[in-house]
Amino acid sequence: MLWLISILFFLPVLWIVLSSFKTKQDILAWPPKFIFQPTLQGFVDLFKRPIFITAFTNSIVISLTSIVIAIIISYFASYAFSRLQPKLTGFMMFILLSIRMVPGAATMIPVFMMYTALGWKSTHYGMILFYTMFSIPFSVWIIKGFLDSVSTKFDETALVNGAGRLNTMFKVILPQVKAGIVAAFIFNIIFVWNEFLFGFILGGNKVQTMPVALATETYTSAGVDWNYVATMSVINLVPLLILLFFFQKHLLVGMTFGTVRDEI
Amino acid sequence: MRPDLLTHTVQNNMPIRKAGKLQDFFADNNRFILVLLLPVVLFFLVLNALPTMWMVGMSFRDYSLISATKTAEFIGLDNFVYLLSSNSVWNSLSKTFTFVFFGVLIETVIGVLLGFLFWHSTEMTGRRLALTLLFSPMILAPIAAANYFKLMLSPNFGVINYIISLFNNGKPIEILSSVDYAFWACLFVDIWMWTPFMLLMTLAALGSVPKAELEAADVDRLTWPQKFKHIILPHGKFIMMLGILLRTIDSFKTMDLVWGMTTGGPGNSTELLGIGLYRVAFSSLNLGRASAYALITLLIAVAFTSIFLFILNRKNIEEGLSK
Repeated sequence: MLWLISILFFLPVLWIVLSSFKTKQDILAWPPKFIFQPTLQGFVDLFKRPIFITAFTNSIVISLTSIVIAIIISYFASYAFSRLQPKLTGFMMFILLSIRMVPGAATMIPVFMMYTALGWKSTHYGMILFYTMFSIPFSVWIIKGFLDSVSTKFDETALVNGAGRLNTMFKVILPQVKAGIVAAFIFNIIFVWNEFLFGFILGGNKVQTMPVALATETYTSAGVDWNYVATMSVINLVPLLILLFFFQKHLLVGMTFGTVRDEI
Repeated sequence: MRPDLLTHTVQNNMPIRKAGKLQDFFADNNRFILVLLLPVVLFFLVLNALPTMWMVGMSFRDYSLISATKTAEFIGLDNFVYLLSSNSVWNSLSKTFTFVFFGVLIETVIGVLLGFLFWHSTEMTGRRLALTLLFSPMILAPIAAANYFKLMLSPNFGVINYIISLFNNGKPIEILSSVDYAFWACLFVDIWMWTPFMLLMTLAALGSVPKAELEAADVDRLTWPQKFKHIILPHGKFIMMLGILLRTIDSFKTMDLVWGMTTGGPGNSTELLGIGLYRVAFSSLNLGRASAYALITLLIAVAFTSIFLFILNRKNIEEGLSK
């Protein structure tokens, strides 16, 4: 019964996966073909297109770099917010959160104007900077949630024993919030990896990520290339699916800003 | 023991690291805070505060990328007046609220029902795989989902339309090109993508109910509605509220999915706020007006955030009182 529900939700995804192994004729067959001769031709064709390698490397470079930078910066900030509690902590946390609550298109207008003026459009660093900012708010919220649950006694003991501030921060406290770091990573990678709108507006040909390439390279002289759409979607999905399988628990933590941490 | 003696013992027993220059530098509390927060503040100022202020300034000006004069003349509230008196903004607002309302409502109802089914299913074989499949709609790129649903809903090649045609005397129907159905088709895909999220939140909420209380309820032979009202609801309430709120905010932001499926059409029948904004900015290239539009959206989002934090804080206060 439960399997049935899972599979029901999985069906459309399964249909995409099946299509990626079909020939062009089979994808567009009417009535739709449920049983067909599988072929890898779609993937072979995809790998031959220059856009594939470009988009794939861009996706990996841009999302990994920006998330790693974002998490380091967020750890600094959330450590300060959680341990030293400077003035305006509450206010800054509010501002950070509201950044992410604003609809993409509203953020995009000013960023677009600025990127055009500064010449940051269609550059790798421009994209990385943007996605870093995009990932910081949730990372800070998630990591701070974890830091708050680690007793300050650890800090005190370490400091009294002469560990120094940096050692306390990285060697004593950091290992204890590893789960939070992983949660922030998983959560943000799903968003950045799948993000389309900003990549589409701010990026150009050279910095296309996979979701952007998925939308822009679909049309060929012979109409929509559905083989391309199916295979590209599948390649885009597989890494996340693997992450989801192994880090299910962390996804939940991320989705609830670290407020829920139990096993489901 | 004398204080200086205590220090003496501690120092003798612990390995002492020679304080480096960096260590001295960070000894000052304020300096340490400053260094830790500097990167975030820099990022925020450059990529957020600055552009936003620019946008606010722009929203009072007449600035269009295609106008002959690029002087960006100050025109006061004209942009806002224009937007609020035009039909398109109100159309987008009502479309968005309909989308959010029905989307969140249906996702919550189905999610909660399915959540109860999955409760206590920890023994199920291959649960991890089943959950991975169940959550797969959430991690599929919205643009990929949009593209593919376009094919699946197509009256010529689409599998969904094929199934419809079986019940419709073999005749498929126009969906995405129809003013009547396009909106609901987008909503349907949104529900498919995000019901698993509500299910996830329901599972988390149910997980927070203490087992002992449930067992006690069984001993006392409480009926289902009683059990629900007195045990499950008080414990799971907060997480469910969090889930609904997060979904509301996210649904309000929906863009990639609908953009990929219909780009707001046919006509403006699926023109949600984000898409309306996009059209003003990049089709008519009137950045002054678009800035004003963005500012309005921003204010609505900030209001949502405030409500969100209000609920979160209330939960913290309640917990603080009970401890």
